[in-house]
Amino acid sequence: MAQVTVAASRPKPHRFRRARSRVPIWHVAWLALAALVFLVPVYSVVQFSLSGIVPGQNPFHWYLTVFDDSGFKSAFWLSVQISLETVAASLILMVPTVFWVHLRLPGLRPVMDLISVLPFVIPPIVLIVGLAPFLKTFSSWLFVRPEVLSLIYVVFALPFMYRALDAGLRAIDLRTLVEAAESLGASLPRTLMRVILPNLRAAIIGGSLLTVAIAMGEFTIASIMGFTTFSVYTYNIGTSTAYEGVALTFISLLLVWGAMLGLYLLGRGGRSAAGVAITN
Amino acid sequence: MATVQLRGLRRTFGNVVALDHLDLDVHSGEFVSLLGPSGCGKTTALRIIAGFEWPDSGEVLVNGEDVLGEPANKRNMGMVFQAYSLFPNMTAQQNVEFGLRVRKQSREQRAKRARELLELVGLASAMSRYPRQLSGGQQQRVALARSLAIEPSVLLLDEPLSALDAKVRVQLREEVRRIQLELGITTLYVTHDQEEALSISDRVAVMSEGRVEQLGTPAQIYSGPRTAFVANFVGTMNKLEATVISREDRTVRCGPVTLSVPDPTFSHAPGETVELFIRPEDVRLELLSNGGSPPAGLFEGRVTSLTFLGPVTRVGLTTDLGPLLADVSSAVALGLAADTVVAIGLDSSSLRSIAL
Repeated sequence: MAQVTVAASRPKPHRFRRARSRVPIWHVAWLALAALVFLVPVYSVVQFSLSGIVPGQNPFHWYLTVFDDSGFKSAFWLSVQISLETVAASLILMVPTVFWVHLRLPGLRPVMDLISVLPFVIPPIVLIVGLAPFLKTFSSWLFVRPEVLSLIYVVFALPFMYRALDAGLRAIDLRTLVEAAESLGASLPRTLMRVILPNLRAAIIGGSLLTVAIAMGEFTIASIMGFTTFSVYTYNIGTSTAYEGVALTFISLLLVWGAMLGLYLLGRGGRSAAGVAITN
Repeated sequence: MATVQLRGLRRTFGNVVALDHLDLDVHSGEFVSLLGPSGCGKTTALRIIAGFEWPDSGEVLVNGEDVLGEPANKRNMGMVFQAYSLFPNMTAQQNVEFGLRVRKQSREQRAKRARELLELVGLASAMSRYPRQLSGGQQQRVALARSLAIEPSVLLLDEPLSALDAKVRVQLREEVRRIQLELGITTLYVTHDQEEALSISDRVAVMSEGRVEQLGTPAQIYSGPRTAFVANFVGTMNKLEATVISREDRTVRCGPVTLSVPDPTFSHAPGETVELFIRPEDVRLELLSNGGSPPAGLFEGRVTSLTFLGPVTRVGLTTDLGPLLADVSSAVALGLAADTVVAIGLDSSSLRSIAL
């Protein structure tokens, strides 16, 4: 029996030439230039903070000196406390306000836009000069409470918190979500807590991050009111020991980066639940 | 199951009258569609029933009780929206359970009910998916299951299929009707799609300028429009102008042709100008041999256009009565071409006359 052998001509696998993404050289050059603008000061800070050391001393001498100083801890924790209070007060004040304006009073949005930029227009020094006598009429005790500083920072953080929440609420179909929840029997506070806030997670985190940055870095008002916050402490150290001051600056930079990374990771978790619908 | 009655609902937005003393009775377990063009007030009416809008005057009675004093979250009405309204931070199951959670049902009860309803809408396998992982059609099914989970007294659907593509829309509307019949829930359905309204409703309320123009079964609406608006809005209609010859004989003159209108509501005075309406499928065509004249009762026309619609072909005609459209079987239409002279007959039992 003749055997017929069919030569299986195996089809050659398609060779897809891997498309090389050719990045124009000027793109790279521009990116490198931008990186230099940001990295050169950081490098200079690090280099300066590791200099001025007696031979045989720990190269991180100035950093250790900062950590050993009890003033650093108290200033840092005071700023952390003020930052958290500012974030809490901003959220408590702004979330319901912006939610309500979007839902029921959209005509007020231009007014809110205007109010939110006022802190950019009024310099901090003007604000505190006006605010100090006003606060003192109530109580001189009130004037020395760090909580007052938090309330002042709420005003400074207003543009950032408002913009973040405004953008977050614009990104969702607020009215439909609220009405859907209401039709299922939910009250407005429950709708806000269970439906709206989880969908504003990224906006809340973004606004909070900027608020923390403002509260941690503000100098003028804290200094005038006599609080040794982190920025005031950094300034004071810098005027006495330049090396220690620069080391402290780098520490604060690392702390801000750490906070940003943490908030970014939190925000990513929130985004995974939301998204664009698949069409049909 | 509940009855819904709208009594003299009026709602204005500035100078615009959205609802103009709207009256409507929906029986228990009935599926009624509010059909009309954009801006006719159908969605406003639905939102007033749901409690998202308030009328300037009028009453909304559910089982005979006025519910206008109650906020939306106390009315126990299920609503499915035109826009995708699933909560993005919750899975399909959590979305369905939301209303039950508000009602403080136990975890087991909630899970059981959510499974039942997601099975009912054919999505039991998608319970743990987030809205972004569902297609538009699936999202609307989950939204339907969610609205049914709370065992609402009335189900309100506000153009729930309008964002979907044609095939999914047809499939889902049949499913909505199947579920409604299975549960026997009183349902109000807002749509601008006449085919949708006619295919799934027990009754259709055709709305215009804030009022119900005509309320009736789909067959009544389609075959017996009582106003020019309904005739023009629902389906395709031929419109001819005619003069009444005799009220008793119900005859009119339309161009050179005298037509008998056996419409029982015919009550026009002699000499009055009326509009005659007839559907393209009620216009009959016969090929005329060369130079031949039309048989008695028919009149002559010339083909101007042919539009293939699948099983039928829509034929455009010029006649002494005015332009006409006729739907003929596509097989028959093969024998037609532009400028073909044909004999035309009107099915007089389908003629409707409305005073101008």
